[in-house]
Amino acid sequence: MKQIILAEWLKLKYYRTFWVILILSVIIPIAGNYTVAEIFSSKDLKQAQFLLGGPFSFPDVWQTVACVSSFVSGLYGILLIVIVTNEYNFRTNRQNIIDGWERKDFVFAKLFWVMKLAVLSLVVVAIVGALLGMAYGSKSFTFEGFNFVFYYFLQVVVQLIIALLIAVFVSRPGLSIVIYFAYNMMIEQTLVTILKRSVGAIGGLLPLQAGDELLPFPGTKMLAQSMPGGTTTYDTYVYLIAMVVYITLGIWLVFRKVTRTDL
Amino acid sequence: MSILSLQGISKRYGAIQALSGVSFDVPPGSVFGVLGPNGSGKTTLLGIVTDVLKADKGSFQLFGKTATAAERRKIGTLLETPNFYHYLSAWKNLEISASIKQRGKDDIERVLRICGLYDRRDNAFKTYSLGMKQRLAIAAALLGDPDVLILDEPTNGLDPAGIAEVRALIHDMAKAGKTIILASHLLDEVEKVCTHVAILQKGNLLLSGPVNEVIQRTDFVELAAGNNEELVRLMLQYPGCSSATIANGKVIASFTANPDPAAINGWCANHGIWLKHLQLRKKSLETAFLEITHTAAS
Repeated sequence: MKQIILAEWLKLKYYRTFWVILILSVIIPIAGNYTVAEIFSSKDLKQAQFLLGGPFSFPDVWQTVACVSSFVSGLYGILLIVIVTNEYNFRTNRQNIIDGWERKDFVFAKLFWVMKLAVLSLVVVAIVGALLGMAYGSKSFTFEGFNFVFYYFLQVVVQLIIALLIAVFVSRPGLSIVIYFAYNMMIEQTLVTILKRSVGAIGGLLPLQAGDELLPFPGTKMLAQSMPGGTTTYDTYVYLIAMVVYITLGIWLVFRKVTRTDL
Repeated sequence: MSILSLQGISKRYGAIQALSGVSFDVPPGSVFGVLGPNGSGKTTLLGIVTDVLKADKGSFQLFGKTATAAERRKIGTLLETPNFYHYLSAWKNLEISASIKQRGKDDIERVLRICGLYDRRDNAFKTYSLGMKQRLAIAAALLGDPDVLILDEPTNGLDPAGIAEVRALIHDMAKAGKTIILASHLLDEVEKVCTHVAILQKGNLLLSGPVNEVIQRTDFVELAAGNNEELVRLMLQYPGCSSATIANGKVIASFTANPDPAAINGWCANHGIWLKHLQLRKKSLETAFLEITHTAAS
C-alpha cells in the first residue's frame, strides 16, 4: 500500500494541472463561504439573519459552511477525473499492470485519491467553519452541529465515486468531464424534480440529492416544511444509508470494470 | 522449468478470432521469436501474458507458477507503444517504473546511458522524438536488470543506428544468459538474434521450437561462369543437386544435403567450366517464413 501511494505521488507531484485544480478546489469553498458570510453580515440582511437564526454563529455555522461548500465541491470530482483519465489517455494504466501492479492495485491507487480529496474537503470545511464562526458569529465555539460537516464529507465521497465511475467507464478526459458536469448540474436535479413530483420523497434518495437533503441552509428546511404543500423527507439515517449504498455500489462497479475487461 | 508456458490460449474480438488455442513453451536462456504478419496475434498473445488482456480460454504460467504481479515484476516488458506520463521527464518516469517494479532508483542512470538518453534525462517525455520514446521504453524494460525480457517490436521508430544498437543489446543480453521473448514482423531482425521461434498466422500457431529444427533452411549455392546455360546443365548432373536455375545473371543451385563449395568448384573445373563466382548461401528466414505461411494459407 505504501508503495502504491508513493507511485501515485510521483505521478502527480510535478503535474501543474493537478496543483492548479487542487488549489482552486480549496480556495473556491473558502471564498464562497467568506462571500456569503460578508453578505449576511451586511445591514440589509440582518433581518434575514434573524429569521434564519444566525447562520454564521455556532452551532449553525457548521451546517451553513457545509451547505455552501456542497455547491462547489464538484471541483474535486473534476480533479479526480483528470487524474484517472490521464492514465487511460497516456495508456499508463496498462503500463502500471505490465510493470507489476495487480489490476486491483490500480483501483486502490485511485480510491486513495478519493479518500485523500474527501478528507481534504472535510479539513477545509472544518477550518472555514471554525474561523467564520469565530469571526462572524455571536456564540462561543462548539462542535455541536459538526455532524453536518460529516454529511458534507459523505456527499463529497459520493461525488468522487461518481467521478471515478465516469472516468473508468468513459476513459476520455473531455467527455468524462462533460458527462460529470451534466450529471452534477442538470441530470440529477431533473430526475429529482420528476421523481418528487410523480412519486414523492424517494426522489430525495438519488446519489447527490441524498446529501443535499441533509445539508439545507439553516432554517430553510423548517420554513419549507411549514409551508402549505411543503416537502416531506425521510429520517437522516435513510439518507446516510443511501449514500453508503451508492459508495459501495460505485466501488464494486469500478473494481468489476478494471479487473475484468481488457485494458 | 519453462520461463513461459502457454496452454490453449484463445482470444476473440467480436467476429475476429485473434488467437486460437495457442500453446508453446519458452525455455530459459532462449531468444524466442514470436513471428507473424501484422494482425497475426503476436501483441494480443503478449498482452495476455502481461495481464493487460484477458484470454477467453486457456492458461499460462510464468516461471512455472500461475502468473501474478510478483512474476511480472521479474520481467522487463516493452509492449506495443511506449506508455509514459507526457508531462514528466525520462528520469521521473523511470522513478515511477522503478517504484512499481519495487526496485531502487540506483539503476536509472545505467539504463538511460545504455539507451543513449542520459543527456536528455530531464526533458519531458512529450518533447521526445518517436525513436527517443522507443529508447525510453527499452530503458524501462531494462530497469533492474531482469532475467527475462518481453520485447514487442523493439526497433519500431528507431533509425538504422538505433536498430543496430538494439540488436547488439539483445545479442549481449542473450550472451549473458537472459531469456528474451521477441515479437516482430521484421524477419531479418529475428533471423539475426533468435534461437527459438513460434510462427503465428491469423491467430493460429503454425509451428514452434528451435529455429534450425522447425524451419528447414538448407544451404544453396550461387554460381556464375562465362556460359551460365552450360553451367546449369552441368550442375543438374552434380550428385545431390535438386535444382539449378538462372536468376539475375547467376545460377542458383539447391541441394538435398548441405553442399561443399570446394567440391563443386573442382567438379566444374574438371568438366571444363571455370567459375567466376561461387558463394554458399542460406535460405533467408523470410523466404522460409513465406513458404510456411503460404502453405498454411493454401
